[in-house]
Amino acid sequence: MDTLSQIGSLHPLEIKVLTVLGQHQTQQARPLRQEDIGHAAGLEPSQLSMAVEWLLAKALIRVESEVVTPIVSLSKVGERYFEKYAPIERILSVVRDAKQTGKRITIQDLQAREGLEPSEMSGAVGSLKKEGAIRIVPGGHVEATGAPSPLAESLRTLLKDLHGAPRELHAFSEPLRRVIEHYAVKRGNPNEPFRIDDRVERRYQLTPTGQEAAQTIATQGLGDEVSQLTPELLKDGSWRTKRFRQYTISLRPPRLSAGRRHPYREFLDLVKRKLVSMGFQEMRGSLVETEFWNMDALYMPQFHPARAIHDVYFLKEPTHARAIAEPFLSRVAETHRSGDDTGSAGWGYAYDPERAKRLVLRSQGTAVSAHRLASGPAVPGKYFSIARCFRYDQVDATHATDFFQVEGIVLGPDINFRTLLGLLNLFAVEMAQAKESRFLPAYFPFTEPSVELHVRHPKLGWMELGGAGLFRPEVTLPLGVEVPVIAWGLGLDRMAMVALGIHDIRDLFSTDLDMLRTTRGHF
Amino acid sequence: MPTISINLKDFEQLLGTVALGEATAGRNVLTAESLEPWLSLVKGELKDHDHETGEVRVELQDSNRPDLWSAEGVARQIRIKLTGAAPAYPFFGAKPQARRRLLVAPGLEQIRPYVAACTACGYAVTEVGLAQLIQVQEKLADIFGRKRSTVSIGLYRLPAIVFPVTYDLVKPDDARFTPLGFDDKMSLREILAVHPKGLEYGALIAGHDRVPLLRDDEGQVLSLPPIINSREIGEVRIGDRDLFVEVTGTDLLMVVLTLNILAVNLADRGAAIEPVQMTYPYETALGKSMLTPLDFGQPRAIAVQVIREALGVPLEPKQIREALSVYGCEVRGSKDKLTVKLPPYRNDLMHAVDVVEDVAISRGYGSFEPVMPSQFTVGGLSRVEQMSDRVRDLMVGLGFQEIMANILASRQELIERMGLTGSEWDRIVEVDNAMSQTFSCLRQWLVPSLLRVEAASTRSFYPHRLFEVGEVAVPDQAEEHGSRTRMSLGALIAHASANFSEVHSSLDLLLFYLNCPYSLEPVAHPSFLPGRAGRILLQGHAIGLIGELHPEVLEQWQVTMPAVVFELEVDRLAEGTVEKS
Repeated sequence: MDTLSQIGSLHPLEIKVLTVLGQHQTQQARPLRQEDIGHAAGLEPSQLSMAVEWLLAKALIRVESEVVTPIVSLSKVGERYFEKYAPIERILSVVRDAKQTGKRITIQDLQAREGLEPSEMSGAVGSLKKEGAIRIVPGGHVEATGAPSPLAESLRTLLKDLHGAPRELHAFSEPLRRVIEHYAVKRGNPNEPFRIDDRVERRYQLTPTGQEAAQTIATQGLGDEVSQLTPELLKDGSWRTKRFRQYTISLRPPRLSAGRRHPYREFLDLVKRKLVSMGFQEMRGSLVETEFWNMDALYMPQFHPARAIHDVYFLKEPTHARAIAEPFLSRVAETHRSGDDTGSAGWGYAYDPERAKRLVLRSQGTAVSAHRLASGPAVPGKYFSIARCFRYDQVDATHATDFFQVEGIVLGPDINFRTLLGLLNLFAVEMAQAKESRFLPAYFPFTEPSVELHVRHPKLGWMELGGAGLFRPEVTLPLGVEVPVIAWGLGLDRMAMVALGIHDIRDLFSTDLDMLRTTRGHF
Repeated sequence: MPTISINLKDFEQLLGTVALGEATAGRNVLTAESLEPWLSLVKGELKDHDHETGEVRVELQDSNRPDLWSAEGVARQIRIKLTGAAPAYPFFGAKPQARRRLLVAPGLEQIRPYVAACTACGYAVTEVGLAQLIQVQEKLADIFGRKRSTVSIGLYRLPAIVFPVTYDLVKPDDARFTPLGFDDKMSLREILAVHPKGLEYGALIAGHDRVPLLRDDEGQVLSLPPIINSREIGEVRIGDRDLFVEVTGTDLLMVVLTLNILAVNLADRGAAIEPVQMTYPYETALGKSMLTPLDFGQPRAIAVQVIREALGVPLEPKQIREALSVYGCEVRGSKDKLTVKLPPYRNDLMHAVDVVEDVAISRGYGSFEPVMPSQFTVGGLSRVEQMSDRVRDLMVGLGFQEIMANILASRQELIERMGLTGSEWDRIVEVDNAMSQTFSCLRQWLVPSLLRVEAASTRSFYPHRLFEVGEVAVPDQAEEHGSRTRMSLGALIAHASANFSEVHSSLDLLLFYLNCPYSLEPVAHPSFLPGRAGRILLQGHAIGLIGELHPEVLEQWQVTMPAVVFELEVDRLAEGTVEKS
């Protein structure tokens, strides 16, 4: 990078520092300390240290010299001693008072009275004894000798001098320095009154490149460097005389939160669009259904074990619908009883019209199809719904209590077993991009024949994609539909989970915003 | 539907002379892999396979084919296909004179009216055979017989029984026997009160002063149906050669069909089946007196044209006949009408379409060439869905992240945490038989769903802008179902300075683009800060709410950011645009 382009990418803070150092260097004076630079450039310490770091990294300045100065200050313990006296002072004072009043004092008395730690106690007593300021007389009593304690006095002087004002260690006389060093916080001994920190003082100098840069800045000027193009600059045209700082564009940008569709919904939208593009009309239904539309209309007898396939949720209040629309109730009832005129023998049991009114949470999307059949569907017609359904299941990684079912119907005079297979082939290609598919016999209470569609998914291998069949005449005729009807359903959740990179079906309805913000989805 | 265990070695024997296995070292060994493709004949799915024991587990899908819920049944269907011939079960055509009789006592029509029975001799029960007997008994009584209520089964050692047997009705203190699993004689009352099976199934015969009892001519108890067998007579062991089989229940055809299935299963294992004469004191659909097993199935006339149209293939009558007979059906007739009769162990021919499926399965689904439905239809979305999509697009444009949530929630989330208890908004659709409180109510609005996400996402960087367009159930007395399913939009903004005017701006812009002129009217709603909440009015109708959530509500949800929301009914917007157009 040449000097000019290097200058172009300099941050305003860096320029200020370079300028200060450049001017200083021409005076042939001693290199500047960091604080001098800050002062001269008018920078806050944090701005200054950033700029210095950057310039060092770019090798535009270098450290000329480094001086380490030990600085003494009071630790928390020291500040406390300043306020409330050091143990050595307190002991001396108590022992001297006792001598005047003639009381006798033991070490234990002292310790209890002053609330001192055993370690503080023994250290202080030891020092005072060594100095001859106190003595221990037989019987374990402590007595003042009347001699002064230079240590106590030095401590007081130091505490006073250093209270709130750290100073260089070398500013103290040799004896005081020894006291400080003796009573300084050290590793393993944190409860001392003084602390000694090294203050590192660096002086900085321009490197030859830095000099060149500083000179260029000084002689050619920067123009006037700005970081942001503003409306004002545009209005008065003054941008022409400005220089725009160049950015370091490799840095990561600040994060944004976007407005975004839910990834699972995005998947379902895709399914929806596919179905519409294949000529399917959407149907909608109610979350709360009657047993009639949820099961009876689908020729699932009220008694049969097939009904146990759909373990359903019942409602607390109200428990039953007021009525079921006629003529459907009568026709379905008669079909269950005797087959009516559907050509069927019927289930042959006493159909309970009250049971038909019982309210349930929709357990299968086919309930929506049943309503559609009963309300005059177009012939030929294709319909689909993406319906929320509810199952009485223990919730775990593979079972959800409410989930979407994608399913629908196709009706028309040309509908038969082969067109059913043809439709399923279309689904295999359109929904799963499958090149291979196969059909297996299946069982659903409301279709005959019934088929399971297995496909070879390009990523997942062989999987069951859905089930379908021709609605039994016992389903279609009582609802007023005279043409054959395909009923189909697709199991897409596994494909959705793979597309979303999740392994737990509960994560389709995740409450974790971070997960929603970061899931991309590969559809 | 039932999943059954099959022992491959046993299964191979049941297949008889036909073999499915790969020829290895000069002999065929049946493997799970070689069995699997054949399972489509019985709508079976191979679940797992234990290579050690040679056991496979197969799920049978068809709830109308209980005859397939055993190794014998599955083997039979495959064997018929391979040999091209249905097995002969001559005992169904037995002469009217039976050696053994079973008498039904009056009064049973009120409790458990039907019984059917036969004997099976000459097959020494093996270990695997016994396991299959127990399995089929359980599956039939549990699933087909709905936990023994419509059908239950008893198996006994024949030599211990002195005929005629009586299906009797006795007072619970008037008879005693030693039930299976116990060592001492107990009265029927004690069995019902103490025996595990009495506790499990006692309710099926409760509420009467007398209970059903099977006993022989010497007064020995066979069993207390449908509860428990006698230990002396009703415990079949490996090696037993002569068995008595009975089925009792509340549905005559299901009872007889169940006995038929047991009879052919035992016959397939080599037992000689001998019918027993049932004598009822009351009328039944099959008369007062009958020999069981009994083939009660009726031949059905089916037009060839129906089968051709349903399958979409112009099959010749001969081809249909062939397909059905290798599937076990009897077919007569030739030209355009065929008469089809199911074998006596099946009773699932309700409609011609049932035959259509048998033809399709027998020929193999792979043999039908798929064709596309040819007729033209126009695709499209419902008005509500179109409006939902527009709303969602706009919300995304306004910077909101879409969420999706369960519709089932708890009363605590929907009402209590929202401060609605006892208010006019304290109404939701509740499930009576909830499995857990967490999923016991249908949400009546979306704000709790949004708060659930907010509460779980305090670590996700702010601001948070969330929305959902989804279904809710609004209680409404006027509705047939007591509630209406509505499409709703809920939106929430949470960050340190989120306030009313911010969320109001979003609502304002949304409704501007939807061309819905609206107004706000103050509302006192417990979920919101007083004076900072409003009803959203569209052409004078309230269609939603907007406001700053009450700190009490936020505390309840442990949300520590101010949050503002609005919610409105999307289907009302859809209706609104209808009126304008």
